[in-house]
Amino acid sequence: MRLIPYLALLLLPVLPLVQQRIDGRLGSFRVQHEALYLWSGEHVRRLTPGFENLMADIYWLRTVQYFGGQRAFSTDKRFDLLGPLVNITTALDPRLVIAYRYGATFLAEPWPMGAGKPEEAVALLRRGVAQNPRDWRLRQDLGMFYFFFLSDGAHASEALMEGARVPGAPPFLKALAAQVLVKGGERQSAKMLWQQIYEQSEPGQLKDNAGLHLAQLQSLDAIDALNEAAMEFARRAGRPPASLEELRRSGLTAAPVVDAVGTPFEYNASTGKASLSPRSPIWRRELAKYGP
Amino acid sequence: MGPRGLSRILAVAANTFRETIRERVLYNLLFFALVMTVCGLLLGQISIRQDEKIIKDIALAAMDLFGTAIAVFVGVGLVSKEIERRSLYPLMAKPVTRDEFLLGKFAGLSFTLLVNVMVMAAGLYLTLLLTGRPLDLRLLAAVFPIFLSLVLTVAVVLLFSILFTSTALAAFASLILVVAGRFSDVIRNMKEVAPGAPAWLIQGLYYALPNYRNFDFKDRVVYGDPVSTGDLGWVTVYAAVYVALVLGIALAAFRRREFV
Repeated sequence: MRLIPYLALLLLPVLPLVQQRIDGRLGSFRVQHEALYLWSGEHVRRLTPGFENLMADIYWLRTVQYFGGQRAFSTDKRFDLLGPLVNITTALDPRLVIAYRYGATFLAEPWPMGAGKPEEAVALLRRGVAQNPRDWRLRQDLGMFYFFFLSDGAHASEALMEGARVPGAPPFLKALAAQVLVKGGERQSAKMLWQQIYEQSEPGQLKDNAGLHLAQLQSLDAIDALNEAAMEFARRAGRPPASLEELRRSGLTAAPVVDAVGTPFEYNASTGKASLSPRSPIWRRELAKYGP
Repeated sequence: MGPRGLSRILAVAANTFRETIRERVLYNLLFFALVMTVCGLLLGQISIRQDEKIIKDIALAAMDLFGTAIAVFVGVGLVSKEIERRSLYPLMAKPVTRDEFLLGKFAGLSFTLLVNVMVMAAGLYLTLLLTGRPLDLRLLAAVFPIFLSLVLTVAVVLLFSILFTSTALAAFASLILVVAGRFSDVIRNMKEVAPGAPAWLIQGLYYALPNYRNFDFKDRVVYGDPVSTGDLGWVTVYAAVYVALVLGIALAAFRRREFV
């Protein structure tokens, strides 16, 4: 009997073994099934007088963890709680600009990279602009989201113009507003806008996201060049090139045959058309709106 | 009250300070140090570069929250423990008046809270320094009103600990009052949710309850908004008047209290 405590200690090494078996069955990273007990930021605010900012921080951390957890580890990737979490965060701390900017990005990006709810993202940014009228970045984001996700050049231009009028705003916003109005929906305008975001953003998810969009648009430019060259090849040879390699060898184009992240383009020899490979990390269904 | 009276108050205060520091305050500071270390190490990774704001928010909220907890739960025991342990009786036999005893207790716990807040503020600055953030002295414009609110809480708690013979009841009543004081903006706008409520009642409640919202500069300071010396001055006057009023009632009640 006296040895029982010591014998019990021998069970200690068994624990990691059992845990490994459980991880093997359920996965080492298991998405927590999140629940929101309070759906209104106003209710949370009322329950925590004097500690609204602390609660906003807690909800913001929850938002980031929820989004990251769903995107990275969840198999069915549901973002149902994303909108309410961001709304509670911003209701508790209406000046937490990062919650509007990142929250809108999380909401707007197409599923499975984000929640695929651009209207909610724009509504969030509009609230952010109303609460922080002196923040030109939020107005810039609002303009960009109107442009990219809702293809609404008129509202995009309006938001960018309002941003340009905020003291301290960079002068290029005015030019962007004009470009967006004239070239609404065009790839060149999109490239210009993403380039601005990329250059202004600090290292992190916003910059990465802008970099991804720029890579997509650069790849589409390369595809355009390849398709034009393929048409020229067909005009001269009477048939489309059999492969992109043959097209390159013909000397009709110097455009790359891989996309901006190194994945080879797909090529249809019967139509003579190159396209972004669905296997590429930068491929998205929504890219169709920019053609080809 | 002459210089002898003051020296007796200071003696009680020093004793109270030693006693309260020995009791629980050190655990609170240890926990705070742990929280700040974890915040400094982890928050940058998981908050998308909001670590500086969150560190400040957590530190200021902790000063407020832990300080209130110390003020209430240590405060309710200051007088009642002396009665329970019967250590008050020999003290009363000495040339220490009840007023001096109570004021000494008040000053002692207030000083404990001052030390607590100062150490926590130093912890906040150390965390900011170690995480490479600027040492923003404007944060003190939020720390000072927090301390004032804690002093006000000590006065309220002392009053309740004299009015009620039960420590639990005194703690409960103090907490209710502190929480109600944090809802002062709700009370002020009560007419909107309860149109039938008489205006005199709402006004009366609004002015009678300690308005803890007055002491909340956390949001303004963290976002770098200016806090004028005028704002801080009026808040200090409010705290001084309220504390004097509450202590006055407490002294009157303590003089009449019978110890059996």
